[in-house]
Amino acid sequence: MTSLSTLLNTTPHLWKGRQPGHGQRACPTGHARLDAHLPGHGWPLGAVTELISAKPGLGEFRLLFQALANTGKQGQWVILVDPPWIPYPASLQGHGLLLERLLLVRTGGARESLWACEQALRNGRGGAVLAWPEQISFARLRRLQIAAENSAKLAFLFRPENVAREASPAALRLQLEAGEHYGTLIHILKCRGSRPPQPVWIPQPFSTYAKNRHQTEHHASLATHNINTALAGNPLSAIAPGPGHPRPKQH
Amino acid sequence: MQQALQRLAAWCYQYSSQVCIPAGRHGLFLETGSSERLLGPSEHIGKRLQQELTQLGYCSVAGSAPTPEAAWLAAREGLHIAGSEQIRRQIGPLTLNRLHLDSAQQTALERMGFRQVRDLLRLPRKALTRRLGPALPDYLDRVLGIRPDPRAMYQPPESFSSRLDLPAEVHTSQGLLFPLKRMLEELCGVLRGGDSAVQSVQITLGHEADDDSLLPLGLQSPAQDSDRMVTVLRERLERLRLPRAVRSIRLEAPTLLKFNAGQHSLFRDTPAEQKQDIEQLAERLQARLGRDSVSGLTGVEDHRPEHSWRPRTLDERPDCIAQPHRPAWLLPSPRRCTIHDYEILAGPERIESGWWDGRDCRRDYFIVRDRHGSTLWAYREYKPGRGWYLHGIFG
Repeated sequence: MTSLSTLLNTTPHLWKGRQPGHGQRACPTGHARLDAHLPGHGWPLGAVTELISAKPGLGEFRLLFQALANTGKQGQWVILVDPPWIPYPASLQGHGLLLERLLLVRTGGARESLWACEQALRNGRGGAVLAWPEQISFARLRRLQIAAENSAKLAFLFRPENVAREASPAALRLQLEAGEHYGTLIHILKCRGSRPPQPVWIPQPFSTYAKNRHQTEHHASLATHNINTALAGNPLSAIAPGPGHPRPKQH
Repeated sequence: MQQALQRLAAWCYQYSSQVCIPAGRHGLFLETGSSERLLGPSEHIGKRLQQELTQLGYCSVAGSAPTPEAAWLAAREGLHIAGSEQIRRQIGPLTLNRLHLDSAQQTALERMGFRQVRDLLRLPRKALTRRLGPALPDYLDRVLGIRPDPRAMYQPPESFSSRLDLPAEVHTSQGLLFPLKRMLEELCGVLRGGDSAVQSVQITLGHEADDDSLLPLGLQSPAQDSDRMVTVLRERLERLRLPRAVRSIRLEAPTLLKFNAGQHSLFRDTPAEQKQDIEQLAERLQARLGRDSVSGLTGVEDHRPEHSWRPRTLDERPDCIAQPHRPAWLLPSPRRCTIHDYEILAGPERIESGWWDGRDCRRDYFIVRDRHGSTLWAYREYKPGRGWYLHGIFG
């Protein structure tokens, strides 16, 4: 006789509500705290992830560095569709992204940008597509979701804060805000499986700096060195500590 | 007729890489021996071709034999001659008018009292040459495979065009679905044959006394799958209102693209395949958005961040020094700021350069944080002007 648990465990099409990430293929984010709450323990492959933040510079792009570096190492392409700023090659390379596997697409307007994004998602198999659409309809987003699904791609959309309350077919929606200790607070607005009620705090490069600064204000030059180490992830490539005045004279 | 044969040759190309359009005949030669492992014996291929041609609206006969000329004879009779030793036996009983001869030769032979092919094959070649010239024995040798019969092979076309005169006027757009579907299926056969695909198809509807109406079909990605095109066609026809009755249809695909077969395979993991994918994407984007719309990135040896990068073409190798302490994003142009609004987290990093090209500068860069918690890159400029600027975002 077959027991219920055997049936539950052997039937691949059966989805169990309390089991996060059942059947979800994912790419680790590099943040254990975040991975623990994501289905499949990472960025969902073949699905759209929305990263919502009020302002840029909260660590929203940094969050993806590990996944994008892995994408390049596997010989897959990372496609940036109309980033609002100029990607700085030296920095991207410094964080392990392979420039020879990076494609930059510049279009004329929002419509073209979405079209290009969909084309990029449909193309080939694997890799990652990043886009910054301000406005996108539910139906259009669904098409992107299907395109990502068919090509097993990582798809990241950076979205403004006002869309957080809108319904979305994206598989994963995260909202970022500045957290304490110079870290980032990540609210998981939507994910497949059960959703954690509490936001997840993840450190940013200056989190250690913040702690040090609160503890020992006068060891500022030491802190500066930590900052460089933290940012670079490698003390040898750190910038030279400032010439004796970590806080410059202000006008 | 010749145009139809050209189209059918392209269509047949999906079953055989050696297709030949013989001059002055209403038929095609296909080499099927090499396709046997894939498609089965010639007899099966023949039946399959006939069935599919019927669906496309053509009447056809098919036969096979080891030599082209024997196959031509076999086709009329629906024969499938397996080996060259059997040619003589199988075509022997055929009447002389089945042979591909001109009418003068035909009459001459009849007057001499020949009735069957068999009679002719029995004769010594020398006697035949003396009486009827060298062409006839040469032809018979080619039928039997004694003499080689090389032929100019058909080359698949760079574009596709077909035209259909409707037997009756069509008044509703839905009435166009059936003939157009057939034409698209024929197109897709041609595409499969040439391992090519189309991303757009131009349909022209001809009216009796009016200007033609145009019905362009566009696809998101190059395809050779008729189902996909018919889906788009259906949607278009539903919204189409015909101004006048349609008398004829022309279907054109001006450019046939290379088909990416990988869309059918499960994994595309080799670097070559990925390169092919990305190139096709780049082509498609550039086709619509212009050449400059797609690029890679590379570093440039210059200390000033705004001059330390440039776009690169995809076949150029990137060259860049890793600087992980710099921000991922640069603002398109530095923006003036008041440093009092920011908290300084790290710095300064002195950048001094550019005296040799007249863009002299001296700056101290700082990593700063604004009141929203964003981490930014700011610099204090000493040369050429003085002041504070925002230059990047640590995304």
